[in-house]
Amino acid sequence: MTLSHALSRVLDAIDIETFFLCGSADEARKMALSLLLGLGFSDADVVSVEMNGPGARVRARTYVHRPGARYAWLAGTDGGDVA
Amino acid sequence: MILLVPLDPVHDVGLKMIKRALEEAGHDTVLLPPDMTPSEIIARAEKIRPSHILVSRTLGYQAEEVLARLADLADAAGIRERTRMIIGGMAVRPELAQELGFDAGFGPGTSPSEVVAFIEGRPAPSEQCEEVRSKKDLTAGYTYRFKDESVGKLAEELADELLLWAGERTSPAVERAEIRHAALMEGRSVGEDYLALCDEVVRAAYRTGTPPKKTRHLTSDEQRHLRTLGKRQYGASRPRSHAGLVLFVQYGTGCPFMDVAHIKAAVAWGADGVVHFDPSWGARTEGLLEGWLTHEEDGSVITPENLRAIREGLEPWVLWQVRAHRGLNTPETVVLAGHSGADLTKINIAYGSLGGGTDPERLAVDGVAAMRWAARFSMPFDIVTNEELSGVPAGKAFASMLVMAALAKKVGARPILQPLFCKSPEVMIGGYMSDNYVDFNAAKVLVLRDILDAPVWPGAPVGFLTQTEDRVQSSLTTGLHACLAGFLGADAVTIASSDEAYSGGPITAAARTDTLTAVQAAARFFGRCAITLTAEAERFRRLIYAQICDALTEAQKAPSFVQAIYDGVFGSREDGAHPGRNGRGTVRMK
Repeated sequence: MTLSHALSRVLDAIDIETFFLCGSADEARKMALSLLLGLGFSDADVVSVEMNGPGARVRARTYVHRPGARYAWLAGTDGGDVA
Repeated sequence: MILLVPLDPVHDVGLKMIKRALEEAGHDTVLLPPDMTPSEIIARAEKIRPSHILVSRTLGYQAEEVLARLADLADAAGIRERTRMIIGGMAVRPELAQELGFDAGFGPGTSPSEVVAFIEGRPAPSEQCEEVRSKKDLTAGYTYRFKDESVGKLAEELADELLLWAGERTSPAVERAEIRHAALMEGRSVGEDYLALCDEVVRAAYRTGTPPKKTRHLTSDEQRHLRTLGKRQYGASRPRSHAGLVLFVQYGTGCPFMDVAHIKAAVAWGADGVVHFDPSWGARTEGLLEGWLTHEEDGSVITPENLRAIREGLEPWVLWQVRAHRGLNTPETVVLAGHSGADLTKINIAYGSLGGGTDPERLAVDGVAAMRWAARFSMPFDIVTNEELSGVPAGKAFASMLVMAALAKKVGARPILQPLFCKSPEVMIGGYMSDNYVDFNAAKVLVLRDILDAPVWPGAPVGFLTQTEDRVQSSLTTGLHACLAGFLGADAVTIASSDEAYSGGPITAAARTDTLTAVQAAARFFGRCAITLTAEAERFRRLIYAQICDALTEAQKAPSFVQAIYDGVFGSREDGAHPGRNGRGTVRMK
């Protein structure tokens, strides 16, 4: 199982959720985006961030396949195990 | 004989459930006590000589080592040659079973029926639709009788006046609907007579083959793949979430492919019905397009081909709603929906005028025609009241909804009342939800039930302005709102995804499964319990009822129902509602 195979089977987006030890929601937002960018995803956004106490719970998202694009997973619809 | 082995110090509940399922299926079983060593287990297996050994392991600690030891001993004793060995439990993943050489591995979430099916060599029930479902008629059993005669009299009289008024008028959309119907009946495309009634962008798309901005035609390969995808049937893996309550989700990613994929995921996760969302520009444009079109932004383009492709992708028991409520193509959308096999549509003249941007006069003519088409196709429609989100008080929105219901009944259609469960501007300003989100929403259903014997379908979706971008909060509040609909005896409910409050991109399939999971968990938690409303609910019920009566009385004083909309009777500029301008000046006398 390769990374490209796994990515091709992502229906639309990948969300990453974590809890950052940090000083502000803005810092958490920047770290979440840098995490996704560092993993090689350019289409990154922060869906939610909430700062309380020692850190922030954050969910960041990258769209692998946006509506209207040409989907890698379509190739599997003839006999694969997707969708 | 099947030997059941809890390879764990204490945990054997899962195996006891499987034992019961196996015995109900006619299998003989022996359940060993917990906390036996691998050597002791093998000794018992040599004595019993079972056909299968089911081993469970809950504790993650040293799970792999203990299971490997058991496998080695079974090999050494020759048990593997005559016995199938299966592992399962919280500490087990299918990959672990494969790695250690077991015949199968069942992880967390496995149902006893799946294990029984495996032992009997049958497909897993989750792949063959455990629950036989059928489409529910949401309007069955309702008489549409006004139980409140004074309100009914006002609503009926306003409906009569509107029918007469609309009967003398026509619009480009009314005429396009007739042309579209004839074309679909004859299996052909529309012609120049149709294009003469359209905006330039639509005319250009037909004449040059160039679709509007941010849309493109699907390639023939993509069309083939879409058909293949649509034909894959998965059944309903999850049980119904709430007894009797039909659960709808919305889709409209922009792309028919993505829509079909999302629909199949949502249905597998417990949705009973789906609602088609079209692009907002479609409502402001005269004329509908043709062809297989995908759209880069929210809302899936309504074309005969797109609707058919989506229809082919639906499980046969899934209810399908195509909305027609707010724009310049209302009657034609109903025609297309009817020809495409939709089960339901959505029409409301007041909402489309006050919250959807369409000129009241235009939408009144179109809305009446759309209701007549809905009656011809025997397609019920909900009367949505989302103008509350603009600031219109619930009672004013309900007043026009009741006129629409009376009108629908007169043309032989079957309307469904759709109160919005939301934290609306009226609620925020009035402090009506300072204690809870239940009383005011409940009062809406109670007052409607008192007035008219008609189905009620809270939406759309429930929980507006209560969800945040946090998916746990969003899913939980959605689940609770859905359960509230169930508590109140609603016939259906439309829920959002956990992306409801996120505006940075398209809704994801995972976000849809979030709220479906939440609804199921909440419904499971409450079961058939009831809730107790506070005394505030009765105060809210009286408030809404008074608003309804005032609005209907005021509307009767206006020269016409349509003028009453312009005059703000069903939602004023002070409330936050503004009569739409799209299509203004396009109505003409017949």
